[in-house]
This record gives sequence, structure tokens and C-alpha cells, in this order.
Amino acid sequence: MIQGIFYARFFPQQGTKIVAQSPPGCIVPVHGVDKPCLFDFNVLQEYIIPRKAFCNRYITVNDPEGKYSVLGFPVSIPNPRYDRNEFIFNFGIVIECGRDGGYDGNPSNDIDQVPYERVVRRLAVTFAEMEKQSGYLSQDHDRHPPVDEQQERGGRVIGSYRRRPIESLLEIIKEDLNNYGECMIPVDDANTINMKLFPHHPTPPEVKGWHVPVAKMKFADVVDPTWDLTLQRVITQIDGVSDVRRIAYAADVSLELTQLALRHLLYYDTILLLDIFFFGTCYAPRPGIHDFIANVGGMVDECAHYVCVGAANHGTPPSDRGTGTSTGGSIGPGEGPSSGSSNPMDPKGSGGHRVSNYMLIKLMTTFCVGKTVMEWLKGHMDAGFDVLRFVDVRRLVQFGVIKGCLYRVHKYVVSKQYLAQLATGQAVPMAGGDPLQKYMDGCHTFDQIITEQNLTDAEIMNKLKSFPSSGVGDITVIYR
Amino acid sequence: MALPVLPSPSNFLGVALVINRSRDGPRFVFHYPQLVPAPGLSGTRPECGKDADDDNDLLLTRPSRLDGFETSAPSAPHPANLAQWNHDDHLVTESGTQIVPWEHVAGFPTKDLENILTPARAYHKRLFQVSLDPLYCVSYPIYVPENGVWRKKKRQQRKDAGAAARRDDEGVAPGDTDSANRSGEKGVSEDQSEGRDPAKGTAKTADEAEDKKSSMTMFNLVFFLKPKKHEVKDLVDVMFVHIIKKINKAYKYCQQRSDFVWKESKKILALKDKGREDKRNMSALWEDILQNSSLAQSMQDIYDAVSQNKIAALQLETIEGMVTHSVQIPVPFHISDIPQDLEGDECGLWMTTANSLISDEAVEEPSYLDKNFGLLLLADEKKISAELQGDPDDTTVSMIEFVRHCKPTLSFYQVGQQSSNVLTPLQVRKYAQHFIYWRRAIAIPPLHARDMYIVNPNCDMRKLPQATARWARQFPLLPALPNFLAELSVSPRPYKLHCPSKAHRPVYMAMLAWLMRGGWVTQLCTFAYVVVWPEIIYEVEYALEAEDIARTKRSQSGANAAPSSSTGAAALGDVAVAGFGMSSSFLSLTADDEPSDVASSVTTLRDLSLSHSQSLAPHQSSDPDLTPPSPRRTLSDPQSHITAHINTSLAMTPATTSQQPTAAEKAAEKARLERIADKAARELAERATAHARKAVPEQTAHPSVNAAKHLVGTSPHIILDAKKATGKESLYLSVIEKRLRGRSAALASSATARISRDRNVSNNSIHGNRGGAPVGVAKQGRDAHTTAKDDGRVADAWGKFSKYFNGQSALERIALQEDMKRKDVWNLLTAMSEYLLCVRHW
Repeated sequence: MIQGIFYARFFPQQGTKIVAQSPPGCIVPVHGVDKPCLFDFNVLQEYIIPRKAFCNRYITVNDPEGKYSVLGFPVSIPNPRYDRNEFIFNFGIVIECGRDGGYDGNPSNDIDQVPYERVVRRLAVTFAEMEKQSGYLSQDHDRHPPVDEQQERGGRVIGSYRRRPIESLLEIIKEDLNNYGECMIPVDDANTINMKLFPHHPTPPEVKGWHVPVAKMKFADVVDPTWDLTLQRVITQIDGVSDVRRIAYAADVSLELTQLALRHLLYYDTILLLDIFFFGTCYAPRPGIHDFIANVGGMVDECAHYVCVGAANHGTPPSDRGTGTSTGGSIGPGEGPSSGSSNPMDPKGSGGHRVSNYMLIKLMTTFCVGKTVMEWLKGHMDAGFDVLRFVDVRRLVQFGVIKGCLYRVHKYVVSKQYLAQLATGQAVPMAGGDPLQKYMDGCHTFDQIITEQNLTDAEIMNKLKSFPSSGVGDITVIYR
Repeated sequence: MALPVLPSPSNFLGVALVINRSRDGPRFVFHYPQLVPAPGLSGTRPECGKDADDDNDLLLTRPSRLDGFETSAPSAPHPANLAQWNHDDHLVTESGTQIVPWEHVAGFPTKDLENILTPARAYHKRLFQVSLDPLYCVSYPIYVPENGVWRKKKRQQRKDAGAAARRDDEGVAPGDTDSANRSGEKGVSEDQSEGRDPAKGTAKTADEAEDKKSSMTMFNLVFFLKPKKHEVKDLVDVMFVHIIKKINKAYKYCQQRSDFVWKESKKILALKDKGREDKRNMSALWEDILQNSSLAQSMQDIYDAVSQNKIAALQLETIEGMVTHSVQIPVPFHISDIPQDLEGDECGLWMTTANSLISDEAVEEPSYLDKNFGLLLLADEKKISAELQGDPDDTTVSMIEFVRHCKPTLSFYQVGQQSSNVLTPLQVRKYAQHFIYWRRAIAIPPLHARDMYIVNPNCDMRKLPQATARWARQFPLLPALPNFLAELSVSPRPYKLHCPSKAHRPVYMAMLAWLMRGGWVTQLCTFAYVVVWPEIIYEVEYALEAEDIARTKRSQSGANAAPSSSTGAAALGDVAVAGFGMSSSFLSLTADDEPSDVASSVTTLRDLSLSHSQSLAPHQSSDPDLTPPSPRRTLSDPQSHITAHINTSLAMTPATTSQQPTAAEKAAEKARLERIADKAARELAERATAHARKAVPEQTAHPSVNAAKHLVGTSPHIILDAKKATGKESLYLSVIEKRLRGRSAALASSATARISRDRNVSNNSIHGNRGGAPVGVAKQGRDAHTTAKDDGRVADAWGKFSKYFNGQSALERIALQEDMKRKDVWNLLTAMSEYLLCVRHW
């Protein structure tokens, strides 16, 4: 929330003065307003109109109480037509700091200053430009002396100038940004100020070729023709099963562009990145599994809704591969985690059997380090539960991973000799050597090798057996 | 505990000391490192790249800023010259102005910075934070007291003031202050003793007059930060609370005692002025200053340590002796779940959930920590002892003793015992805390060869090459690190199985400790919940229903016997009585239950009966006089007199009510009540027949595989926290206990049990995987020999252990907590495994 907004100017004679402020009296006292100012202007004025070296940049400062932050962008326009050859002004806003000195335990504690930076910059740039072009601000001074002088003057609209006073502009900006998060204000015939508060997100991690993006929303419903063409092609291929490399191939887009497009989606938190599902890989529980067991927020019912398969499908794991994008994969993963809690369970469940909550918990908890999905499956089959007939294993695993119940145990290959070389800094890519060697430092998962080298797990293992380097015992496989 | 945003050379650019003087104005004294890069100048504004696409602000702003820069400082060097400048030599512009390398810091002239960084007195001992584009200047300005005298006046007072200042200084630390003072890093306490030195005191009175009014009015140690946009607040908070505030306070302490900051500043400024005249190279001058001024030296220490997230040890050579003080940003040494960003700061941290419980449990039971945790020293025992001896004080001897006794395989409790009680539990706890806070050790659940350890999913594989080399030096004759990790990671099994022979055990434990230290492995723990099988559920439901019917029957017959129209009321009153009857009958089921359990089941049943009475209430709602007894009943002593009490009250009730109505009304009322009674009787009879038709609960040896027809519809129930179980869940628990008690009998009677058990064990046992198979097999072998005595032990343990069946307490730690043998605990747990749902993670 903007607590106050002001326009400050440096006057050659009087020094730094507040020319306009909203609400009245927020920065310097005015006649008729009893409310105390937000902070002591005298303490902060050297940061509102600072020394020249600090002009023309975004400056913030906190007040001594630790309650407010003053965000400003002091602008200095050098020009011989001004007194002292310079016109200095600052449009600043005051927001709550949300630091401990301020409101303790108040929910407003986490106030994000970042969105306001653009507002302040935009105000500075627009008015600087208007001043440069038409002397908008310097002329205004004639009608608007500093606050302490203007008190005796009643009406402030003067006939010949048909434009808004800055004070009312500031008020509109403050109100609109506080209430709607955006504003569109015609300043004069030629200029309009358009501003919007955008949330700031941290830079998303890189998208790798072996990641599997899962949509969190139905892209088909929100996409429109103005979207980036590459993005439009990429989103049609996101099905919750295909890895990035496959998506790039299927969308006929280069891998780099695909990664860029997906990273963009990741920035807006519209996709999740998972790993490639194989029956030969391991998954193991994480502490989050306790929420699953306790059925927090109806998680198990949500899971049942998502993973139980119809009796018609029995025998083979239903694959979303190739079922297109509009119904199969993309809706499921997207809808399952996000909306499932609102509709607890759907007993009709595409005509299949709903597996009991207990059984789902049992299935989820029996994943274990050192046990592949295949072995896990076999264990349950032997125990008399035909998992494949009732449950889509891939979806179960994905559900577990998305909800933080399971993690993927990755497989790494490590060559001791190569490690020793790395440790001494002698590692040189072996000319004409094995293309696999660079993967052997323990930082590259099998998923990466599989996608980058286009090999299967078994093929890689075979190649490793015949790895030329140092003979027996050099290569080990670590699961993590 | 999440990892805080930590300073690094990329977001912590430097420190600078700025002072203000009463007549001469502000002065920029010193900064470190020598070259604080200008965050905006190079045009690499990483965060802005993203904004730029739809933001024309930048395009518009940049030229204007350049304008400003050029015109604002007429003496500014030519940009081209500046670009090539190495920031070490002095430049001379065409106009003859000398540009001094140290007079530009972070892209700003120090002349301007010194003004903006000396805020008004309003900021005295408060956070001062000003940002200049991406550069954040954060500090905690210290002003001279209003009277203009830094130094406290009288000697006696000074001692107090010193203590007060110290308290003040330390008061901000969140409770680790004790440890901060006690150790080698005990800063202020040490020189306080020196302050008492009488010889120095006399000399001081002389300069007191001369130094009365210091010309320095404030000093301000400013930290230049360049946080990423989303981490501004976090980084500033962390730095301010743990570093900035504490260091400025330490300086203030020295300034108050010996005018330290002012004297050192004068020294540095003199050196700089001379360097300016001689046009000395900045690097040479800086070296000089660092050697000559312990203040400058301390700033270097601060920057070098804090930007690497290490412990910064200040050593300030005041005229009254060395003042030492240590500061750091405390970082967690473990996390409880895999971090989002696998390559981020948290990578490499040890993962465990053991510590997430501390807060709850420690309150309830202070010894919880002692028994569950041991200390793993992060450095060599000898090295730590040497460190301690290097800076001796009265706790050094016992601390060294503590270090000597600490083994990662021992809990604090055991350490206390082993040291033949030289160390009190309190000492053990305090020292451990101290070592942990100062990053010399971490607390871990004691290592044990029977426990399972897996490769930490969060281990930092990037460190593998170096770690492998170090491992090879440390354990030359043993398998290489990659091989050992591979072995641990293939399939989890008790650690001792990795050890070739008993003789290797000690060295293998040392290896394990090494791996723990580096965050390479973590313990795989087992967490359990109680599963109630349909058979048990059915049994309890059946019994409850039978009780209910019997009770209603009894109450109806009682009501018939009652003289007047108060059938409903009698029934109502009897509910409670019947409740007790029922509870006693249940008590007979669980004869040797612990008293607390009895109490809980009684309350449970009372709850049940209350709810019943409420459900009955609508039937009599037409009769207002009948409701009063219920509050009275709840007030009265529940145990014995209740029946009589209610009966008397009931006897009175009709007497009062029957006085008003006429005979006709009475007849009508009676008929109505009779109708109700009839209906109730009919319903009861129906229920009774329905109940009789139900299958009688049959106790099979293995309820988990009982597939009887009447159980098909029921799915097993999971008790989330057996300790807090109430209502039906507590009934389930006592029924299970009873089953465990009679287990061997049941086993003997059922010939088919063995087969079903096979399947069951592999399904359900704690060791439900390949690695655990041997235990399961061993268990079956023993089945034949289970005796009633064993069953008794299992049943007893069930009551004792059930508090751990909450999915939060690792079963591996029961032995430590209960002071039992690990093997016994496992045997008991295995015997209970049919009723446990287990899940394993760190």
C-alpha cells in the first residue's frame, strides 16, 4: 500500500521543498490537517534531493523508526535556462517497510517493494521528459509554490492552464494503484501515465533436456493468437510424459528455444518440472509422505481420483503417450494436483474400481530406496494385489513426486580415475575418447545421458562395461 | 529450518567506515576490499535484463544519467580514461585534477558518499538503510552521547558501564550469548578483567580532561550489499541482526573505553593524506594501513570472513589491551527435506527429520535431547583441544574433558555417564550448544552399526573429486569413496553388514562419522503408524453394539419397573450408568492395562454414552421436565453413587410434575409414554435380532489376512498418533494389546497361521524390503518358541511403545529413549509388526 506520494523540488533559494503531497500532510504539515507526518522530513530530505552524484538513479531510504521506506528517483535536468543551470525534482512514494521496527506480527509485514520501483522510475522518466519538452514542471511552479506558501491561496485552477494540478494527479495515482494495482492517467493532451504493479518472481532454474514439464493449468483454454509462436507450438506438446528433448522434437522447435519457452512458463509458475518415468527407476518416500498418510486436505482421495484406472483398461498401464494434449495427459496432471481437493472423490471414476485409501497409502509407503518401480510392482503382485489393474503407476508416482511424498532416486556413474584427474585439475577431455567420460564425475544423472546420448539405460550400462579406460573396478554406479 | 539468504562476494561488496566530526564534517575513513566494484556502471544489471523488454524506463533513463554524471562533476575524469583505470594508480586529468584511487568507492566519489552515509542522530542505534540503484548501504550508526563525551566518567561507573555495555552488546544475540562469552571467543568479558588493572587506571584520569570532548560525533560502519531483488529484505535482516549491529556495538564499546575508533581513524586518515601527496599506489597504501591499524585489520577480517560465510573474529588492539569478539550468521547444519533447488546453497547439507521434533519434545522432556543426540565434532579432536588451550579460561579444562569424551556413537546422556560424572548434564548440554553454535560440531542421532545409512539425496556431488582424494588419504587401505557410496546406495541394510569383520568395526565407524560430517550419508529411519485391521474394527464395533443393546434392554426393564411416567428420564439417567457398566466390562478385557489407559477408556466410554444420551434426547424433547437431570448427573460423582442419586432425583421429579395435571391429562400422557416405550422396545428387539444375526467376531491369528465375508466392506484404519488416540481408537489399541498377549495361543491353535504369516511378514514387516529379509526369516524361526511370557512382554511393550507410533518418532531411537537394548526393541517391534504401517526416510 502506498502510504504517501509526493513531489519534491529543489529551489535555489529555499532548498528542498515538498510541492505536492497526497494525502495532505503526509510528508510536511499543512494547515488544517492534524494528522502527524509519516516521518521527519528534515531527517530524510538529503535522501529525497541528494547530492548531484546520486541524482538520476533509484534511491530508497528507511525512516529512523524503521516503519516506512521512501522510494524516489531524484532527477536532475541540466539546462542553462534554469536558475543555477539545473532543475532538480523527485517524485517519491512512501510505503511501509514491514520490518520489525514497524508492525510486529502484522500480516502486512511482507511488503514487496519491488513492484513500486517501476512506478517510481516511470514517474521520474515521464515528468523529466515532459519537463524537457515543454517545461511542464518548471512552469507549474509559478502556480504552485511550495506547500508552506500556498496555504493562503484558495482555488488553484487557473483559467488559462487547462490541466490537472500535480497534487490531484498524485492522489489519483495513489488511489488507483492502491485499489486496482494499475492506473491510466491523462496528464495533458499529449501524455498519459500508464502504470501497473507487477509482482516480482525470482529467476527460475534452468530447464534441462531431461526434465518432464507438467502443466498446472489448461494452456489450451488461455492461449490466444498473440502468444509467442514458439510458445504456442511448445505448449501443445506438454503432456506430462514427454521430456523436453522429445517436446522440442515433436514441436519442431530447437531445444534451446524450447527450454527458453518452458522457462518462461516456469517463471509464471504454470508448469512443474519432473523427471522421466521409467519402470526401472527408484523412488523413495520423503517426509512429506506423512501428509499423505494423514490424508491432509483430502490428498488421498485426490490421488485416488487421479490414479485409479477403469476396469476396462486392465492389463497394461494406460499410457498418455500420443493421446493428444487436450484430454489425456495435460488435463490430468494439471487438474489432479490443483483442483482435486475441491472435489473429494468421484466414485464413478471412469467406471473403474476405486482403490481404498488404505491401499493407496500402502502403495505409496512401500516405495523404498534400492527398490525399482518394477520390483515394487512385483512385490505387490506377489502379495495378491494386481496393481496394474487398478492403478496407473506412472500417475501414482507423479502424484507422489508433485505432492512431495516421493523423490526420484537418481543413478550416477562415477569413474575413479576421472575423479582423480579432476581433483588434481588434470582432467582433459580424452581426444577421441569415450563420449561418456564427461558424465562420470558424479554430477550427471542417467536421465541426462539417456536424453543427450539417445541411449537406453541398458545400452549405457553395456557401453560402460566395455569402457576403455583403466580396467576393472574403475567405474561405479551410485544411487542418490 | 530454512537456510537464510547468505552473504557472498556477489551480494556483499564491501565495508566502509565513515565518521562525522563536529567542526570538520564527515569523513570517509577506510573501506575494504580495496576495490569495491560499482554495481551499476559496467552496464551489467543482471536483474534488469528481464524487465527491459517491456519497460522503456531504462532506455529513457540511461542517457540522462550519463548526462548527469558528466556535468555534475566538472573534475570528473574522462570516461575513456576511467574505463582503462586500474584503480590503483593516481590519475591526473588535463585540468590538473588528481584522481585518487581510494576516493572512488562503488562508483561514487567518497566526498559524496561520506555525506550520504552520515545520517542524522535520529538513526542513532537504529537500522540505517539507503539504496542507490542496486547498491544497498546498510548500517547501525553510533552517535556520541548528547553531552559530547564518549568516555564514561568515573572508574567505578565505568566498570558498571562496561558491564552494561556488554550486556547491551550481547543482549541482541538470541540466547547463544552465554556460549558466545564462555569460549575462546569470549570477547568483552576478558578485557573487562584487564580494565580492572589498577596501574592503568591512574594514567587515565590524566587524559580524561583532555579527551573530554571528542571531535568525532559519530561513526558508522557501512556494509555495501547488492542483493538480488527478491532477497533484499532477507539479506539485510540477516546481516543487520547478526553482523552489522554486533560489530558496531563492539566498536562502540572500544570507543567508549579507549577512544579506539577515533584514534585509529586519525591514524588511517593521516596515512591516506600522506599517500595522496606521495601518490602512492593504492595497494601499497592499503597494505600499510592494514598493518598499522587494528581497526582496518578488523574490517578486513569482517569482510573476508562474512563474505565467505565464516566466523569473523575481531581483534581490536585498544590501548587497554586486546578486545576480541566473534560474529557469524548462524546457519542450520541440516534440513528436513530435499531442497527445491538442487544446485542451490542448501546443496550438500545433511538431511534429517530428527531435529524437527526438538522444539515440541524438548519442552515436555528436557532429557529428550540428551538421549537422542550425540555430538559429531567437525574438526579433529586434537585441533579443537588446541584451540581451546590457545585461549584458556576457567571452563577450558572441563571443555577439553568434554571434547575427549564426545564420540559420535554416544548420546549426550551417555557422555555424561562415561565421563564418570565429571561433567554435569547441564554442562554437557551447554558445551554441546556452544560447539554447535560456533560450528565446531553438529548434533546427530548417535551412530550405530545396526542402523541403516544411505547416500544423502542432498549430498553435493560436485565435491566428489576432492572428497575422494581426501578420503583416500584418510582411509588408504579401505574401499575408495565412490565404491563405498555405491555400496551404501544400492540397497539399504544395517551398516554393520558393510563391515567385513568385527576387527574393522572401529575404523568403519570412523568412516561413517567422516561421511556424516561431509553430508554424504544420512540415516534411513523407520516411522510407524498403527494399523487397525477390519477384524479388530469389527470386534470393537460388535462389542459396542452388544453393550448398547444390553444397556438399553436393562434400562427399559428398569423403566417398566419404575412407578410413574418417567420412562424416558430413567433411560436417560441409565445411559450413564450403563456406560460405566460397559466400561467395566471392557476393563475386564484389558485386565492389566496401565491405569492411565483405563482412565482414558473410561472417559471415552463416557463420551460415547453422552453422545448417546444426546441422540436419545430428541425423543423426550416434548417433555421439558425430563431434561434437568442431565446437568445434575454430569456434576455428580461418576463412580458409585450415581444410580442412587439419579433415582432419587427421578423420584422427586414425577412428584413435582404430577401435581398440576388433571387425571385425563395424566392418562393421555401415560398412554403417550407407553406408546413411546413400546416403540423403543420394538426397535430394540429389531436391533437385537439384527445383531444376533451378525457374524460373531472371530479372533484369527493374523487379522491382517482375515478375509471373512463380514469384513470385506471394511477397510483398515490408520491411527495417526497412538499417543493421542481417543474414543474408538483407544479401544482398538487395547484390543490389539490383548491380541498380542494371547498371540502364542492363537498361533498354536491355528495350523494355517504360518503360511499366511509368511506373506504377511514380507508385506508388512518393518523390514519390508530385500535388505530386511533376514530379520523376517529369523523371526519365523522363533515363532515356534514364542511363549506366553514373550507375549506378555510384547503386550507390555505395546503400551510403552505406542507413543512412538505417530509417524514422527523414528523407531530406531526407541532403544535410546527407553534405555533398552537395541536388539530387544527390534524383536518386540517385529512381534508387533502386523499392526504397524511403516515408512522409511531420513
